Amino acid sequence: MKGSDGSSARIEVEDLVVRYAGDVVAVNGVSFCVGPGEHVTLLGPSGCGKTTTLRAIAGLEPPSGGRIGIEGRTMYSARERINVPAEKRGVSMVFQSYAVWPHMSVFDNVAYGLRVRRLSAADVKKEVERALELVQMRHLADRAASKLSGGQQQRVALARAIAFSPTVVLFDEPLSNLDAKLRAEMRVELRELQSRLGITSVYVTHDQEEALAISDRVIVMNVGVIEQIGTPEQIYNRPKNRFVADFVGSANLINGRVKGTPVNGRVAFETAGGAVLEVVAPSALSGRESEIAVRTAYIGMGADAASGGNRMPGRIRQRMFHGDFVQYVVETASGAILVRQPPVTLVDEGTEVTLSLPPEFCVLLEA
Amino acid sequence: MKLRAGWQSVVSVLLILVIGFLVLLPVLFLVEKTFNVGDPMSFPADKHGTGNLLSLFTEDFDIILNTVYVALMATVMAILIGFTVAWILTRTNVAFREQLERLMEVPYYMTPLVGALAWAVLAAPKSGFFNQAWHAVGGKGDLFDIYTLFGIAWVMALFEGTVAYVMISASMKSMDPALEESARVMGASKLRTTLTITLPLVLPGVLGATLFVFAEMLGSFAAALVLGIPGRIYVVTTSIWSTVEAFPPNYGKAAAMGLSLFLIMVAMLGGYRWIVTRGSYTTITGKAFRPRPMDMGRFAWVLFSICLLYIVLAVVLPVAALLLTSFQTFATVILSQATFTLTNYSEALSLGPVRTALMNSIFLGVCVASVGAVTMSVLVWIIYRSRAPGSALVEYLAMFPSSVPRMVFGLGLLWAWINMPGGLYGTLWLLGIAYFTVLLPLGVRTIAGVVLQIDKSLEECARVCGAGWGYQMRTVTLPLLKPGVIAAWMLLFAASVREVGASLLLMGPHSKVIGPSIVATWANSGTQLTAAMALIQTAVVMVALIILFRVTGSTRRELS
Repeated sequence: MKGSDGSSARIEVEDLVVRYAGDVVAVNGVSFCVGPGEHVTLLGPSGCGKTTTLRAIAGLEPPSGGRIGIEGRTMYSARERINVPAEKRGVSMVFQSYAVWPHMSVFDNVAYGLRVRRLSAADVKKEVERALELVQMRHLADRAASKLSGGQQQRVALARAIAFSPTVVLFDEPLSNLDAKLRAEMRVELRELQSRLGITSVYVTHDQEEALAISDRVIVMNVGVIEQIGTPEQIYNRPKNRFVADFVGSANLINGRVKGTPVNGRVAFETAGGAVLEVVAPSALSGRESEIAVRTAYIGMGADAASGGNRMPGRIRQRMFHGDFVQYVVETASGAILVRQPPVTLVDEGTEVTLSLPPEFCVLLEA
Repeated sequence: MKLRAGWQSVVSVLLILVIGFLVLLPVLFLVEKTFNVGDPMSFPADKHGTGNLLSLFTEDFDIILNTVYVALMATVMAILIGFTVAWILTRTNVAFREQLERLMEVPYYMTPLVGALAWAVLAAPKSGFFNQAWHAVGGKGDLFDIYTLFGIAWVMALFEGTVAYVMISASMKSMDPALEESARVMGASKLRTTLTITLPLVLPGVLGATLFVFAEMLGSFAAALVLGIPGRIYVVTTSIWSTVEAFPPNYGKAAAMGLSLFLIMVAMLGGYRWIVTRGSYTTITGKAFRPRPMDMGRFAWVLFSICLLYIVLAVVLPVAALLLTSFQTFATVILSQATFTLTNYSEALSLGPVRTALMNSIFLGVCVASVGAVTMSVLVWIIYRSRAPGSALVEYLAMFPSSVPRMVFGLGLLWAWINMPGGLYGTLWLLGIAYFTVLLPLGVRTIAGVVLQIDKSLEECARVCGAGWGYQMRTVTLPLLKPGVIAAWMLLFAASVREVGASLLLMGPHSKVIGPSIVATWANSGTQLTAAMALIQTAVVMVALIILFRVTGSTRRELS
């Protein structure tokens, strides 16, 4: 690590703004840091600015404002008028389209970054074989890149990205073109590779499941701004606002108003249907119209009085069997509530049930 | 990055200036001449007025009528040909479809000049092969007369029909078959589906093709020249030529005609672009579908014959007629009376001016193609890949010559360079500049087709891997671009060798080229020598195109 200014972050993004021609603001003031060896994921719907942010870090998208630092070196700064070109930033990247060069062999593709760095032929060979070994592609080294399947191209792209031992690797939706089964397998491999090589990575995806599964921290983005930064558990259990609750995982959103003031981080919440629930609230203004989020997986359901607080009577309107879980639509005084239960026992449609909403998982959202 | 952005701006500003100069200067002079009613040789004009424009409607109204009449008839026929063949080849289970699709490209590579010469040999009154055969079997009078307005339109339609076919079949192929299939599933009959789904979806494509073809017809020159002059039938383009060649030449009138033609073409092509961009039904996704062909049963053979008939009329008969003529001392189809000879070819290849013209054309072709392929590659990269300011303007300028008839462009260039110091007028240099300028759209379109197919991330990935701009260009961009650049080289070469419209007015006594020489031979010497020259020219063009198909065909396989 050269020129470290003392900060421990490998990647620093400060107030990043990216404007396209025609005054479209793709990224509007985004700031975050990525520590050494950390795997951070930018998550959001298409058009939220996540890919643009990643490309700005790589040096492929000229920003219009802010600062980007990599390993203590300023790569872009609007104020200091610095913009280091992509090839001088020393980061690596895996592209969504894989970008495997069709006019080269697998070996030449992987060797590219090494040859640019003028390694000796012997070293190039050694490093390429090491990289191909890591992605289990060594036997295909001499194959023409145009004769590979999608999954194989993906592996070549990955081997190429890690071959020159970069400390920072950027991933732009690398798994989105694979089928579901292969995607799940590659997720496991990718996570393993990341920790084995100790690389720092920024990963972009619109798949919330993928984001939660492979990251140390998740950054949820929407329309060019960050909605929430946190560990996968924080994002899932403590969504900050309606967007995060709705976009990540499956949650019930219940309207109502706050009653009283928070005590020990808990506050009373009266739903529009008249039920009073105990909910988690860092800070709340009494009497304010608001919304709470409850994950469908955390709601208990029993034929009569279930244990725990925040009970709510209701009637099952619909049951859907998903295999890994069963989803019930339960009609209550506060509206329809989705409940996901393990598929061990099945409750019939039309049954009267009592729901229990554990207070620690009822989260008051920021308006 | 800052440095490179600066470098890119410099290059693109330079390009804008050079291309703008080349493209706009002739038009400027055209406008200047149109309103010059004083001394025709002075620049700037000593007297301005609208007399030249007004005289078009008083003196030359019949020429305008002729032009519109020929263009309309030819467009109707060309669209009929194009639509029929496109429908047969994309929507029915006609036999040998793939082979027919290949054959359909051939008329495009025959020049209208060669086609017109061939049809003159075939269907001229009295001496035409058809009429000779008719007389031989005892027929009275002439069956055909190609030296008429209809004859001109017929030949133009035959050779523009393939353009209409390409455009219409593209819009048919880009239609998602699910759109039709869902209509069938809802219970609509074949006919109902065709009327309510297929036609409305294809209509913008057909309408676009119609406007495009009509604009091309207005500006076309060779057929009207070869077939119109014997019958003293003039359209605007041939009339410009005769006005300039006449003594004394009436430059003002020629300019007025050229300017009007140019403006009408701009309007037509504007309409075409409007239809293409506005009529963006979901059919135009850029994705090619292969719709399920309709089973036509025995009728499929009738459809096959229709396609074949077109190929026979546009390629087989013309080439056969020229071949037969070129080996005879006197053109006749009655083989018992024929005397065969090789003199025409030996004459064409040994006759001083003809040989020089052929050599000049090939030399110019190689130069224009080499300079053009390199410059236009850079141009395309600036237009589509750089963020350099003004890249949209560069694109507009590069495509501009496609809306100016070659003939008119030549006219503008003529004056522009007569007035220019340096004495380029009458030299091969001027022809080279003219070719480069009028072929800009062709080259840019060809290379752009390949550039746009190269995923941008292939280049970006090289940068992220640490490659600088030069290294990236050398190892990734240029190798991937190779087939496109080679294709552009061959097309530019072929187009240079067959050029007539712009060359005719710019050729000097010491800078003869083959296209106009063929026209001159046709006017002054025998049909037989002309046929031999036309076939030699066609052969040169064909060799280039065969190499092109070999190269691109194999690289395409490599890349797929």
